[in-house]
Amino acid sequence: MKLFRFTYLRRDFNKWSIYTLAIIAFIVIPILTIFFKLFSGPGESWSHMIKYLLLDYSLNSLYLILGCTLLTLVFGVSSAWIVSRYKLPFQRALEWLLILPLAIPSYITAYAYAGFFDYGGSLEFLLRNIGLTSSKFSVTNIYGLIFVLSISLFPYVYVVSRAVFLYQSGRLIEASKSLGASEFQTFFKIVLPMARPAIVGGLVLVLMEVLNDYGAAKYYGVHTFTTGIFRSWFALEEISTAVYLSAILLVLVFAIIGIERFLRGNRSYEISGKSDFKLPKLALSPSWRVLVFIVVSIPILCGFVLPLGQLLYWTVLTFSKVASLSFITIAFQSLGIAFLTSLLTVTFALLVVHFPLWNRIKLLSKSSHLAVLGYAIPGAVIAIGVMIPTLHLDKWLIKVGKQMFDLDLGLLINGTLVVLIYAYIIRFIAVAFNPIEAGQLKIGKSLSESSRLLGKGTLKTFFKIDLPLLKPSLFSAFILVFVDAMKELPLTLILKPYDINTLAVKAYEYASDELVMESALPSLCIIITGVIPILFLNRLILNGTK
Amino acid sequence: MELNNNVLHINSISKTFNGGEDFVVNNLSLTLAKGKIMAIVGESGSGKTTLIRLIAGLETTDGGCIELNNTVVASDLIFVPPEQRNIGMVFQDYALFPHLTVFKNVAYGISKSKTRKQQVEAVLCLVGLNGFDHRYPHQLSGGQQQRVALARALASQPSLLIFDEPFSNLDVNLRIQLRNEIFDIIKKTGVTAIFVTHDTQDAMAIADEIIVLKQGTIIQRGTAKELYNNSVNYYVASLFNQFVMLSNLDLECFGFYSQNNKTSALRLNEFILNEDCEYSLRSKIAKSQFFKGQFLNTLKLQSESYISFYSKEDLTGKVVHIGFNKKNLLVFDS
Amino acid sequence: MKNSHLIIAFALALGACKSEIKKEGITNDASKSEIQEVNVYTHRHYEVDQMLFAKFEAQTGIKVNVVNAKADELMQKMTLEGKQSPADVLITVDAGRLVRAKDKDLLQAIDSKLLTTIIPSNLRDEENQWFALTKRARVIVYDKDKTNPEQLSTYEDLTAPKWSEKILVRSSGNIYNQSLMASIIAHKGEDAAKTWGENIVKNMARSPQGNDRDQIKAVIAGEGDLAIVNTYYIGKLLNSEDPEEVKVGLRIGVFFPNQDDRGTHINISGAGVAKYAPNKANAIKFIEYLVNEDAQKVFASSNYEYPVNPAVEVSDLLKSWGIFKEDMLPLSKLGENNKKAVLVFDEAGWK
Repeated sequence: MKLFRFTYLRRDFNKWSIYTLAIIAFIVIPILTIFFKLFSGPGESWSHMIKYLLLDYSLNSLYLILGCTLLTLVFGVSSAWIVSRYKLPFQRALEWLLILPLAIPSYITAYAYAGFFDYGGSLEFLLRNIGLTSSKFSVTNIYGLIFVLSISLFPYVYVVSRAVFLYQSGRLIEASKSLGASEFQTFFKIVLPMARPAIVGGLVLVLMEVLNDYGAAKYYGVHTFTTGIFRSWFALEEISTAVYLSAILLVLVFAIIGIERFLRGNRSYEISGKSDFKLPKLALSPSWRVLVFIVVSIPILCGFVLPLGQLLYWTVLTFSKVASLSFITIAFQSLGIAFLTSLLTVTFALLVVHFPLWNRIKLLSKSSHLAVLGYAIPGAVIAIGVMIPTLHLDKWLIKVGKQMFDLDLGLLINGTLVVLIYAYIIRFIAVAFNPIEAGQLKIGKSLSESSRLLGKGTLKTFFKIDLPLLKPSLFSAFILVFVDAMKELPLTLILKPYDINTLAVKAYEYASDELVMESALPSLCIIITGVIPILFLNRLILNGTK
Repeated sequence: MELNNNVLHINSISKTFNGGEDFVVNNLSLTLAKGKIMAIVGESGSGKTTLIRLIAGLETTDGGCIELNNTVVASDLIFVPPEQRNIGMVFQDYALFPHLTVFKNVAYGISKSKTRKQQVEAVLCLVGLNGFDHRYPHQLSGGQQQRVALARALASQPSLLIFDEPFSNLDVNLRIQLRNEIFDIIKKTGVTAIFVTHDTQDAMAIADEIIVLKQGTIIQRGTAKELYNNSVNYYVASLFNQFVMLSNLDLECFGFYSQNNKTSALRLNEFILNEDCEYSLRSKIAKSQFFKGQFLNTLKLQSESYISFYSKEDLTGKVVHIGFNKKNLLVFDS
Repeated sequence: MKNSHLIIAFALALGACKSEIKKEGITNDASKSEIQEVNVYTHRHYEVDQMLFAKFEAQTGIKVNVVNAKADELMQKMTLEGKQSPADVLITVDAGRLVRAKDKDLLQAIDSKLLTTIIPSNLRDEENQWFALTKRARVIVYDKDKTNPEQLSTYEDLTAPKWSEKILVRSSGNIYNQSLMASIIAHKGEDAAKTWGENIVKNMARSPQGNDRDQIKAVIAGEGDLAIVNTYYIGKLLNSEDPEEVKVGLRIGVFFPNQDDRGTHINISGAGVAKYAPNKANAIKFIEYLVNEDAQKVFASSNYEYPVNPAVEVSDLLKSWGIFKEDMLPLSKLGENNKKAVLVFDEAGWK
């Protein structure tokens, strides 16, 4: 049968097969590079690394994974259940406020918390004003890091849980109640087990972000694999050691994804047929209402209001010092880079969705899902994966330039925006891919097939039919990538051109130069660019459902 | 190759999935002459949709050869993409472009020329939708959308027009009306057409020839009458009429003794409600339900099986003679 | 052909970015001959520097083009640019990085009588590839209300049992700590340095976290008694926008260790002329300008740093902490021992 299939290769191989292969290579090469580099041997400090640091990195990363799993589940699931089950004051507002912590990059939340709990910080100031003295409470340690990462990432769990609670569990809850189960029993025996696959999906996103984090862990002095990669890269100047650490980190990431797949297994708890039946909301007694309201307010206060307040206070103190022409330049560079990145990423995502569809080789037609890999891979690892092959290309270009044209070329690609944006595309293509693929599925195959049968070729069909109909999906994809690109730190730190800066890097630089108050203004700018699209998307989703 | 009058000629094509393990279409051959209307019927999963997708070029074949107008469009070495096959298709969901007006939908397949506007008007007139040019698909009823889809497919003057479950989204009355209209339009234009349907009523009403598919192979082909009267097996027969299966034990209750091990069946409307038949019995009717202007009766045989048949009046509780003639008994290999 | 439009469009988009960068390089080349300028790659990002650069422009008519980034990035950039690098001057905030730049062959030796006479020999490269601009001392600070400075003596003394769980210091990832460790390696050898590190770790009040400012605040908060920090940050605290930080600064006492033996460890911020500097003469002028008395006064008065020009007095604030004996170890040793220091820290368990 294998041979059988091979005979059709000649017939089914078209130019789209080539393009599919090309775009997949484009995305996968940096990731493969890391694996291939493993065979070229470790750096000279590798044995030192194993002896003194690896255990520390592993344990810290493990604690972070466990701690953040626990906390994000507590915050995310409880708030999702409460807002989807009970009638609350400011219901609508609560629903989207719970997403907002996601607008603040976790490293910025980390700076704000460090400042808030600092000696002479805002907490002390507040307590003193109401006549209390505080015992010193330090957050700049692994427990603080776990809390900060959890409070800024729990919305991933919240969003997926709420969707399941609202749209899938309604009938089952009613059935359970009619069989005499209590609210408590219903939640733990019916609702939670049914929502588990979705919740685990959200949790995996959280853990990817936790492992990707550099800024917060660095600031809190917690050594993780990602900070280790930076240390080998910059302090030890050993790329090979960084590559080895990257590879271990990748194994960890794939292990998490593997566990998720395993847990999900073949079980699908999705109720057959998407029901429009929404979970009816329960009224609570006044005292319960207050209690429950407080419970959902905590993550909003801790994840959004507190860090925002701290940053606003700092901004007031340092505004005149930070706000300058060069700051505005950086802000525009940041927006410009994010814009360009979003544009190119969305375009590539479109190609990744469509090339495999237009190609006729079955094996390749499912390959588009490889593209999603990028989001699971920590930015620092992608940066190294992108740098190595592009450096080779550059060296080759220099050689060619010398031999063919007798030109003295410097590095043409490395250290330019091209490499940075290339890395961004790999990291964020999944973010754009998902809404576009969903949009394409919603449109269905028959429209483009009709167009083909009416005599229009692949590209004409794409531009006349698919593209106009995909507009809303493209727009969502664009916004999602834009927000992520504005926030991105570790990859940008390694790959950004020297003469260009982003707000995220500026905030990080201020904080690492012991000017954490000065980092507030760039941080606020990032948050604003994050909040506006989130509110906008929320609108879009609400209008869409009406 | 000798030129003939065939629009479509399929020579033992197959389509597999699961890496070649399972066949959706299995070594299937058929021919369709110019100007003929063919219906393909079969249960869902019988491979009928895959078959037309192969013809249209929306799937690739795994063996065999398809010729359109005496040109090979699909074989082990050749694949002509759908846009070059000159096939029109009306999809189950109509697949109208939601962002284009009726006019633009219909004009989509016509190459730009001075006569384009007239062409569109003409074909819209043909389907009875003149004046709807500037509407969008979502502003039309289901039947109107269906007609736009037909107009759009006809406008590019295809050599073969395929309908994929064209009436399944419509209610019964509209369905019969539209069926007749479309039949008239097809006959007027003289286009060769294939209908895919799971409803044999549609097939019998429209088609010159009917093909019955099961598990990717043709079980029987013929005119409506041939299939109705000479079904090769129970599957085909059950597609065209309602049956009662009768085992040898059941037949014995009527006094009919069969020597073979085959399965027998009788159409519900061929039971005879008096003594003037070759084999009969007397029994009390257990239940008589009103159904589509007549009564559907159920009675239990001594063999513990139930049989059903129609009568003009309510027979609940009555004792009747019921029987059949041997010529009406259909016998299939079991 | 038509179908490959998309691909071509991308190629063009990517190409456009590339050619833009190339063009930039060309304009640089072209303008070189016309306008007098100097291209400065600097890790320092203080307002004072901007002010000084402006003054230099006014005085000499040489335009200063500043590229601001971390030293590691700037060095990587210079390596990548190779012979085409527009960089004339590289400024870093520690000696280790300058040594690394020299090792990577990014700098060149320059011949300047002025620089060699003004700058003491321990504060510049043996081959005159780099020169210090300002100094910072790594000192011990304490809460004036709580700790008697007479108990303090040397960095080595911090390992004594009396300071058990009293020492506050930041992580070993920090370059100032790495330089301090490098100086101890240079003076006492690797084994002794490792022992010192291990004992400091034993005496730590908490696992290393936060930056130098945080260590100072932690002293006042009572988390520990002593902190090892750079002088520069005490000045920063005293002049902070946050009134709470000023309060902390006021309570802090500064102690210069090792006054009876090798002297207090100092680090520098310094500059070197790039190997392929297109404006070498201007680059030398520029560095010479930064060590002249006027510029050094500005550094001393507004950035809480110690001037390298002996003719210039330190600021009042710095004066109030007293005059101290500096460790005269050639600063090139800090760079040479940097990697060893990083490894020794790991071995000692200093996080």
